[in-house]
Amino acid sequence: MDFHVFDIFPILLFFVSIFGIIISTNVVKTIVLIVLMQSAVILFWLGVGSRFGVHPPIFEYFAYVADPDAIADPLPQALMLTAIIIGIAVTAISITMLNSLFRKYRTVQWLAMHDAALVDEQKNIK
Amino acid sequence: MGGFLAELLLLVFLVLCALYIVFSRKIYRVIIFFAVFSLITSVIYLFLGAPDVAMAEAGISAFTTIFFIVCLEKYYSRGKDGRNEATAPVPKVPLRVLLPAILFVSGLFALFILYAPTGYPYTGLRDQYLRMFMRDVGGENAVTAIYLGYRVYDTLFEALLLVTAVVAVLHLSWYSEAAVPDGRHSELEDSRMAKFTMRIVCPMILLFGMYLVLNGHISAGGGFLGGLAFALILICRFFVVGIFDLPIKKALKLEEIVFVFIVILPIFAIFTGVVYHFWGNSVLFQTIYLIAMNALVGLKVAFGFFVLFYRYVAVERLPEEDDTEDVKEAG
Repeated sequence: MDFHVFDIFPILLFFVSIFGIIISTNVVKTIVLIVLMQSAVILFWLGVGSRFGVHPPIFEYFAYVADPDAIADPLPQALMLTAIIIGIAVTAISITMLNSLFRKYRTVQWLAMHDAALVDEQKNIK
Repeated sequence: MGGFLAELLLLVFLVLCALYIVFSRKIYRVIIFFAVFSLITSVIYLFLGAPDVAMAEAGISAFTTIFFIVCLEKYYSRGKDGRNEATAPVPKVPLRVLLPAILFVSGLFALFILYAPTGYPYTGLRDQYLRMFMRDVGGENAVTAIYLGYRVYDTLFEALLLVTAVVAVLHLSWYSEAAVPDGRHSELEDSRMAKFTMRIVCPMILLFGMYLVLNGHISAGGGFLGGLAFALILICRFFVVGIFDLPIKKALKLEEIVFVFIVILPIFAIFTGVVYHFWGNSVLFQTIYLIAMNALVGLKVAFGFFVLFYRYVAVERLPEEDDTEDVKEAG
């Protein structure tokens, strides 16, 4: 099997982020790792079949290039541009939800938040 | 060979940054290393021939870092019983959690590596786009031609998603009118140097944003990046002067109006083919369409980020621990 570095490293990055999400006890860290996961996916799509030093798909570079493979694929780039903006929307909503939770429980630790929620529940039962 | 070494070095550094973020026990360091990570990914995108994506990543990472640090300073440093959640160390992970997690994730990684597709999936789409985009959509940047021409549905839904995100943020916030005068004013307000610097830098950023928007169809840039630049001016102003009386509701209304125009313009220009029917592949109309769409998307992104930042980060105030219930009833 011959692998390109861009076939391995984004996947490695993705799973490092998943590992971090599994073991993280802090909500801020979880949000950061979700953004990292998204970066890994973007890196994978931009790296598919690409290599370092290709020219951007802009007309002014076409004249310098004889080999058409030396121009980057524009389609993943356009899709990933959209994905980045969606990513910031997701991050903003996550931070906002965390702020709302923080206002209620005054903590950013998952376990402390869970305990506080359990205490609230028991109060409601009584 | 040099290129291979460079990409290997950058990617290894990226993975090291990610590992540091996973195992670090201090939240401020996590945020700073997240900014470093984003900058390295931005450099890699640039070398992969994607200047648009690289610029978007750099701008977005700056915005996210500011958002995180302001939240850490403003909210998370005031935890339960005076505990500072922003600087408190994250508890250590016990081995009985660590080992199964490592096994699970490495098993998934092995599966993905075994069945991952290798090589370039040739579909002919790339050559088609590169050959035809200047005739079909216009402009000189193939990426802009794709997200404003061939795949304009993506842009529409992405704009819709940004509006939804802004509305969700407004819905989740607990802002009330009384919170505004109490907002913390900037410590730089009396500094003449900061004000002077802002007075010089802000017009430059504005000019750069306008350049990005108006030149987006010719070179790298476009509506998103121009909008980000516009929004960053407002953030800069907040840090120096501390403004609390900006019309957020009007900004949201304007964003909705701009979104309606973003939907209407492609309907006339692309979906129904009215422009093509009357004027053919006119370079003039294609250019007008691209510039207008870029400007609209830029305005929308600027208003959206303006609302996101000001409503949640700038204006809002965390109530004291005792009067949490009162604010909930009043709001």
